[in-house]
Amino acid sequence: MEQLQTMTVEQLIARIKDTDDRLRGEAWQNAGPVGAAAIEPLAKVAADAGSELEVGRSAKRAMWKIVRHVGRPGADAEKKPVVAALLSLLGENWPAALRRDVLWMLSEIAGEDAVPRIAELLKHTELREDARCCLQRIPGQKALEALRAAMAAAEGDFRAALAESLRARGVAVPDVPSKKLVPTKQTSVKPVGRT
Amino acid sequence: MSNNQLSRRRFLKRAGGAAAVGAALGTPTVVPSRVLAAAGKPGANERLTIGHIGVGGMGTGHLNDMVGRMRRGEVNVAAICDVDDRRLEAASKLAGPQADVYRDYRYVITRKDIDAVVISTPDHWHGVQTVHAAECGKHVYVEKPACCTIEEGKAMIAAAQKNKVAVQVGSQGRSTADAYYAYRYLVNGNIGKVHTVECWHYASPADNNPVPDSDPPPHLDWDLWLGPLRWRPFNQRYLHGVFRWLMESGGGQIRDRGAHVMSCAKYFMEADAAGPVTIEATGTVPIKGLWDSAIDMKVVYTFKNPDWVLIWHQPGKPVPMENGKMHGYGAVYYGDKGQLVVWGGDGGTWTESKARDWQPPPGAKEVYRSPGHKEDWFQGIRTGKPTIMNIEAGVGVANLCILGNLSLILGRKLHWDQAKQEIVGDDQAQRLMSTPQRWPYCL
Repeated sequence: MEQLQTMTVEQLIARIKDTDDRLRGEAWQNAGPVGAAAIEPLAKVAADAGSELEVGRSAKRAMWKIVRHVGRPGADAEKKPVVAALLSLLGENWPAALRRDVLWMLSEIAGEDAVPRIAELLKHTELREDARCCLQRIPGQKALEALRAAMAAAEGDFRAALAESLRARGVAVPDVPSKKLVPTKQTSVKPVGRT
Repeated sequence: MSNNQLSRRRFLKRAGGAAAVGAALGTPTVVPSRVLAAAGKPGANERLTIGHIGVGGMGTGHLNDMVGRMRRGEVNVAAICDVDDRRLEAASKLAGPQADVYRDYRYVITRKDIDAVVISTPDHWHGVQTVHAAECGKHVYVEKPACCTIEEGKAMIAAAQKNKVAVQVGSQGRSTADAYYAYRYLVNGNIGKVHTVECWHYASPADNNPVPDSDPPPHLDWDLWLGPLRWRPFNQRYLHGVFRWLMESGGGQIRDRGAHVMSCAKYFMEADAAGPVTIEATGTVPIKGLWDSAIDMKVVYTFKNPDWVLIWHQPGKPVPMENGKMHGYGAVYYGDKGQLVVWGGDGGTWTESKARDWQPPPGAKEVYRSPGHKEDWFQGIRTGKPTIMNIEAGVGVANLCILGNLSLILGRKLHWDQAKQEIVGDDQAQRLMSTPQRWPYCL
C-alpha cells in the first residue's frame, strides 16, 4: 500500500468513516503522522455504538498506528501530547471497552507522569485488571510504588493479581501466596468408555 | 472419582481397573513410570506417563501418535485436557477410558503420577503452561512457536533449567531424514560459506467476511481459552485454527511456519546460540476484519560473526522440487560455491538429491541423526541430554518470529543484543518484549 501524504484530522476521520474498505484501510494504516490531534476524534468514532463494525475497528487501529508512530526513538515531542490525549480518554464518559484499549496504548508509551491517573483505575472494578497490566509495563519506581500501594489496600484475588505484577517486576512478595498453579475449572465431560 | 486430585494408590487401583478394560480393548496396562523407577530418571524400558494439554488440531495428531505408542507398550496416556468440551469428548474416545479428562490444565500438571505433558494449545498459552509444567517437575513437549514474547522465552528457559526437565519444541523438521542430509551437506562445505538463507512461504489470509462479537458457545470456556491474553468479548474469528491469523495469539505465518523453516535454518547454520543484530520488516496487513497478522511480509535478519543474512519472504520465490511439483514453503541456502534448496521444514522436509546422495569422505564432519522428534525427547528425558529442539533453541527461533512481527507493527528497524537478550535503543520496542498477563494465568 502506498504511503499517503500526511492527512489532516478532518481528512482522516472522513476516510475512516467511508464505506469503502480500501479507502478506510489506507486511512488507518497511514494515520501515524496525523498525531495527537486525531486521538479524540478517532476515539469518538470508535466509541460510537452506531458506527458500522469496520468503521469503529478502523478508528481504533488508527489510534494504535499513532501510538506506534510516536513511540519511535527520538519522537518525545510528538509522544507527550499523544499520552495526554489518551489520558483524557480514561474518564467515566468513555465506554469501558475503549478505555481498556487506551490503557494498553498507554502501556507502550506512557512515562512516570501518567502513573497517578492510571493508578486511580486500580480501584475501578471493571478496568483495574487492565490498569494493573498497564502499570506493570511502565518502567520506573512510580509505577512500582503505585502497584505496591494498591496491593497494600487490595483484598482477595486482586491482591494476588497485584502481587504477580510485582513479581514480574522483580519484587519478592512472600506474604501473598501465588495461586497460579491452583486449578479451578471443572469439566462436565466424562471419560468415554469408562465404567 | 474427583477429576482433580488423584492419589498414587487410587491411580494404581484405577490402573488395575483400566488394565482389564485395556486388555479388552487391546490397550496396555497403565502404570506410571515412577512406580517402576525407584528414583531419578525413568529407565529405558519404563513407560512414561503422559498428559495431553490441548487435544484439537495438532493436539489430536499428538494424541493419536501417543495412543499408538501406548498400544505398543511405550507410554501411558493418563490425562487429556481441553477448554472445548466437544474436543475433549472426541479426544476421550481416542485416548481410551484410562485417560482422565480435564478442562483446566493445572489439574494435569499437579498430578504426581504424570511424568510429562504434551502442550498443543494456541500459541499464547505455550509460555505459561510450559513454565507451570516445568515448575511441577514435568517434562514438556510444546508445540511451536515456543513463545509469543521475548520475556516468556526467558522464563521458559529458566524454568526448564531450574527444574531439570527435558523440553522439546515441536519444530520437528530437524528430526527428519532430509534435515540430517542437508545439515551434513552444508556443514561439510559443499556449497562453501553460506552467506544468505532466503525463505519463501505463501501469504496469509485476510478475513473478508468479519462478524461481530457474540456470546461464546456453551461448550467452550472462553476465559480459559483466552488465558493470559487481556480480556475481550468472544468472536468466532478467534478460533479454532484461525487464531493463527491474530498477532497476539498466533502471529501469522512467520510465527507458525517460520518456526519450522527458520528452525532448520538456525540448525543448519549452527546458529542456535546466535541472534541477529538487526531486524527489518516490511509488509501489508489486512485492511479490515479481526485478523491482523501480515498477509505478505519480508523480514531481513542480519547476523554478525559469522556474517550472514536470513530473509523471511512471504510469499517470496518458491523453487520447484526435483519432481517438478511446487511446495508452499522452504528455503534456499546460498554459499560462495553453490546453493542448496530445502523444501518444507516441518514434518515434511526434503532436500536436493545431491545432498541426500552425498557420500562423506574420510574425515568429514558427522552430525547428529535424530531417531525421531518424540524419540529424541524421550531420550532427553531418560538421559538428561539436550533435545534436538531444546527450549533454548526453540526460544531462539521464536525470537526471530517475534522480532520480525515487532519490526512490522512498529514500522521500523530493530537492533538486538543477543548477549543481553534485549532490543537496543527503542523504549517502546523494549516494552513490547513482554506482555503483562491476565491473572491468574501468569508466568
